[in-house]
Amino acid sequence: MQEELINLRNEAIAQISGSKDSGELEELRAAYLGRNGKFTLLVKKIKDVPADQRKAFGITLNESKNAIENLISDKKHALIKSLSEKRDWFDLTMPGLKPSLGHLHPLTQVMTEVNKIFNYLGYQVADGPEIESDYYNFEALNIPKDHPSRDTQMTFYVDSTGTDLKPLETILRTQTSAMQGRVMKLGKPPFRVLVPGKCFRYEQVDASHGFEFWQVEGFVVDEDIHLTDLFGTIKYVLGELFGKETKIRFATTNFPFVEPGVDTYMQCTICKGKGCSFCKGTGWSEIMPAGMIHPNVLKTAGIDTKKWNGFAFAIGLSRIVNLRYQIKDLRTLTTPDMRILSQF
Amino acid sequence: MLIPVSWLKEYVEIRLPLKDLMWKMTEAGLTCESAKKAGEEVIMDVEVTANRPDWMSILGVAREIAAIQGNKIKEPRIKALPAQTANFPIDLVPDYRLFERWTGIVLKGVEIKPSPDWLKARITSMGHTPINNIIDITNYVMYELGIPMHAFDYDEIYGQVMNLQLSGGGEKFTSVDGIDYLLPKNAMIIKDSERIIDLAGIKGGFNSGIKETAKNIFLHVTIDNPVYVRRTSLAMGLRSDASAVYERGPDKGSTVRSLTRAVKLILELGGGEIASKMIDLKEKNYEPKKLLLGFDKLEKILGVKIPDTETVRILSSLNLSPKAVKHGVMCVIPTYRGDLKIEEDLAEEVARLYGYNKFPAELPKGRVSDQKIPYYSDDGLILTVKNLLTSCGYSEAKNLSLVSKDLIEKFGLTPAKHFRIENPVSSEYEYMRTSLIPGLVSAVKINSADNLKLFEVDKVYLKTAKGADEKYKAAGIYTGSAFRDFKTAIDLILSKLNIDGYSVEFEADKPYLHASNAGVIKSGGTAIGEFGEISPVVLSSLEIPGKVYCFEMDIDSLDSLSKLKSFSPIPANPAQVEDLTLTFPPKTKIGEVLKLIINNSKLIINAELKDTYKDSYTVRIWYQDPGKTLTNEETEKLRKSVLQAVNQRFGGFLKN
Repeated sequence: MQEELINLRNEAIAQISGSKDSGELEELRAAYLGRNGKFTLLVKKIKDVPADQRKAFGITLNESKNAIENLISDKKHALIKSLSEKRDWFDLTMPGLKPSLGHLHPLTQVMTEVNKIFNYLGYQVADGPEIESDYYNFEALNIPKDHPSRDTQMTFYVDSTGTDLKPLETILRTQTSAMQGRVMKLGKPPFRVLVPGKCFRYEQVDASHGFEFWQVEGFVVDEDIHLTDLFGTIKYVLGELFGKETKIRFATTNFPFVEPGVDTYMQCTICKGKGCSFCKGTGWSEIMPAGMIHPNVLKTAGIDTKKWNGFAFAIGLSRIVNLRYQIKDLRTLTTPDMRILSQF
Repeated sequence: MLIPVSWLKEYVEIRLPLKDLMWKMTEAGLTCESAKKAGEEVIMDVEVTANRPDWMSILGVAREIAAIQGNKIKEPRIKALPAQTANFPIDLVPDYRLFERWTGIVLKGVEIKPSPDWLKARITSMGHTPINNIIDITNYVMYELGIPMHAFDYDEIYGQVMNLQLSGGGEKFTSVDGIDYLLPKNAMIIKDSERIIDLAGIKGGFNSGIKETAKNIFLHVTIDNPVYVRRTSLAMGLRSDASAVYERGPDKGSTVRSLTRAVKLILELGGGEIASKMIDLKEKNYEPKKLLLGFDKLEKILGVKIPDTETVRILSSLNLSPKAVKHGVMCVIPTYRGDLKIEEDLAEEVARLYGYNKFPAELPKGRVSDQKIPYYSDDGLILTVKNLLTSCGYSEAKNLSLVSKDLIEKFGLTPAKHFRIENPVSSEYEYMRTSLIPGLVSAVKINSADNLKLFEVDKVYLKTAKGADEKYKAAGIYTGSAFRDFKTAIDLILSKLNIDGYSVEFEADKPYLHASNAGVIKSGGTAIGEFGEISPVVLSSLEIPGKVYCFEMDIDSLDSLSKLKSFSPIPANPAQVEDLTLTFPPKTKIGEVLKLIINNSKLIINAELKDTYKDSYTVRIWYQDPGKTLTNEETEKLRKSVLQAVNQRFGGFLKN
C-alpha cells in the first residue's frame, strides 16, 4: 500500500510539473484530489492497511495530498507569471471600430452649456412665442411706435389673415427680450430668468448677416440689484464660456429698455486682440448688450419700482458659437451639410 | 456721423492720443471704432445712439470729449445780428403738432457763389459735395450745432406764404436735387400759395431751391415732429442727415442761435442785408429743466459709493450745473440734453464718465425664487431625444424657419394654412414652416453621403383661428435602404422614454408621405407623429433619386406619454431563451405578431425579432417564472401556446 502511495505521488508530481495550462492543472486536481480522485480513493482504502502501519500510512497520505495541493497552486502561479511575461507581437496601432454616432449641432451644445451656467446662478428658463405682438416686442420695452431705435431691429410683419391676430401688430420677434414683459406681467418678483430662442430681423442674407439668429435673454429682478451685479454676472458667464483669462471691457450704450445701458466687448478670440476681419480690425467683439432695466419697463409690467429693480442682458448665441469655433460665415450654422455637422 | 478732428479742435483741445480717446469715447457711449486719414485730415466715424441728437454735431462731440478729458470747450462766438434794413413780407402758417418751433428770417441782396476753400474743405470732409455758399453754410451750421436748417429762394415763395401741412398722398414733388417723387400720405410739407416747396425734415423742393440766380433768401431752422419725419422717410426710403437728426429730437432751445450763426456767415461770405425781423414761432418757451439726483439712489443703482465730490465734478463737466441739496444734487438740464428725464439717466451720466471699467464685479445677493416662473421650460426631454438620435447615428441640423411657397407646394401642403410674412427678404423665405420634414428632405440635395441620417428638433408654426400654435417637433430623415436601421430611432426614443407599446396605423394623412409605406405612430389613442417613405412624387420634384424615409414626432405628446421607469429586481431564476423560426403568409404585420407572443403568457417576458429571410422570421423568446426555474415541460407548453396563437391569428407556423 505504502509503495502504491509513493508511486501515485511521483506520478502526480510528474504530471503536474509537465502541465501546460491552468485548465490541465484543474483536471489533474480533480483526477488526484477530487471527489473520485486517486488520493481520495486511497483514503477510503485505509482500513485495508495493517493496523501497525496504518498510522504511518495516514501521515504519508496527508503529507502527499498537501504536497500535491501546494504543487498545483505553485505551478498555477508560475503558469500565470510566464503568461504575462510572454512577448508576442501585438499591433497596438490597429484603429478601433468607428461607432455610427451622429453629431449634436454646435448651437445645441453651446445653448446647453449656457443654460447650465445660468442654472447654477439660479436662473430658470422660459420659452415663449416667436410669432409675437408688437406690444411685447417693442412697446412693453419702452420702445414706442416710430422710435428710431427700431431701425436697428427691422421687423418682419406676419399676415394675420384668417386668424384673430391683429394686422400690423403681429410680428416675428426681433429679440428674446420680448419675454420680459410676458414673464413679469404674469409672475411675481424676485425673478432670475433666462430666455434662449430664435429671433428674426429683416436683413438681406450674406456672410455676416442673417435674418434668423439665436439669442439668449436674461434678466434679474430683486429688491437690491446693482450695476456692479450686472458687471459681475457678465464677467462670470463669459469667463465660464471662454475661460477666466478672457479680456472683457464695458462701454455705455443706449437701449430704450435699460438705464444705465451697457455694451460688452470681449477680446476677439480669433486674433487675440490683434485685429482681424472677424472683429473688423478692432481686436474686440461686441458680444453682450445689457443694462439696468428701465423703470418704465418694470412699471408697464405692473412692478413696483420703489421696491424692485433689476438688470437685463442679451447674448448673441449664434455669435458665441461663431467665436468659439472660429466660423466666419453666419450661414454655416443653418447649412445642414454633413461636412459641417460632422465636425462638432 | 463723421467727425473731422481738425474741426473738433476748433472747440476743444485734444489731450489724449487718438486711440485712447476713441476708446474713452466708446466707453462713454459715443462709439468710435474707426478713424481714417484723408490727406492732412483725420476723420473719426462715430455711431450715435438714438437718444443723443446733440452728438449729431461737432460741437456736441466736442462737449463730450471735454467732459471725458476734464477740460473746457470753446463755444463758437456768435455775435448779435446787424439791424434790419428792409421789411420783406413772409407769412408763416404754423401747426405746432408738425413744427414745435419755427424760426426764420429773410435776407436780401445775397450773392450766390462758390464757398471759400475752408468751407468747401469742411463740407467735403463730411462726405458731401460743396454746392454754393448758401447751401454749404446751412449744412455747415447743421453739422456744427446740430439742428437742420434750410434756405429758400425768397422770390420763389409764391404769395410770400408758407403753409405747413400734411400731404394727402399722391402729390408730385421734385426735390432740390431734381428727383421726382410721389408723396405718401401724412408727409409734412410746406406749400406756398400754389405749390409744394418743401418736404419738411427730409428734402427741400427744386422750385424754391437756391440757384445761382437767387438774390433774396428765406432761411429757417425748424423743430420737426420726429414721428412724421420718420414715417415719411421710411415710406419713401429716403434718409438724409436732417431726417437722422429729427428722428432723435434735436435741441428745441437753440433755433435762434443756429439761425443767427448761419445769418452771420451768409452776410460774411455772400453779403446782403437783413430784410425781416427774426420770426420765432413756438407754442411755449424751451428752458433748461431741473432734475434731482439723490446720492442714496445713485449708490443703489450703481452698487458702489462714488464720492459725492466726484459725482459733482462729473455732472459739472457735463454742464449740468449740480447744486447741493439735502442728500443729493439738483441739476439743471440744458435743452440739448432732452434725453435726461429721470434719476436713472443722471446715474448713467455719473457711471459712464466715472468709467464702467473701474466698477467692481459682484454677483446679485438676492434670493432664488422657489416658484416656477411663467413660461417655465425644461429642455430635458428635448435633450434626451437629441442624444438618443445622435446615438442612432443621426446628426442635428438647424434649418431656417422660413420657407418658400414653392417648397410648401412641392410637399403637397397648402400655403394658405401657413403664416405668411408680409415683407419677406425674398420669396425663398416667405412662409413659416408647419413641418420640419421639407427642410430636412431638401438637405439631401446638398449632402453626398449615401446613408444620410439627419434630424432636427425645433418649432413649427401652426396657423389656427386663434393665432399661432408653436409646437416643438422632432423629425429625422434617412436615405439608406435598411428599413430596420431607420426604424431603430423611433423604437429607441419610445422605449427610452418608457412610452407603452406603440401601435402603427397604416395610412398617414400627410400629402408628402408614400400612399402605403407610411403610417401614424400612436400610443394609447394619442397620435405621436408620422413616419415612412417620402412620396416619390415629392422626391422627383426635388430631383432627389432613391428613397428617403422620414419621421416627425410631437414633443408635447412624447412628454405627456413619457413615464418614470420602475425598477424590477433581478429574477432569482434564470430565463429559458429560445429562437423560433416562423413562416408567415404575405402582408403579415410582424410587429403585431411580437405583441401577440409577449401577451400570450405572463411567463413570456420578452420577444424580439432576430432575423428575417424571405417569409421567415426568427423570433427570440424569453420564458421566465419569477418564482422558479421553468422545466422543459413547462417551456414546451408555453411554446405550444405561442405557436397555436400565432397560427390562429396570423397563419404562421414553425419552419422545419
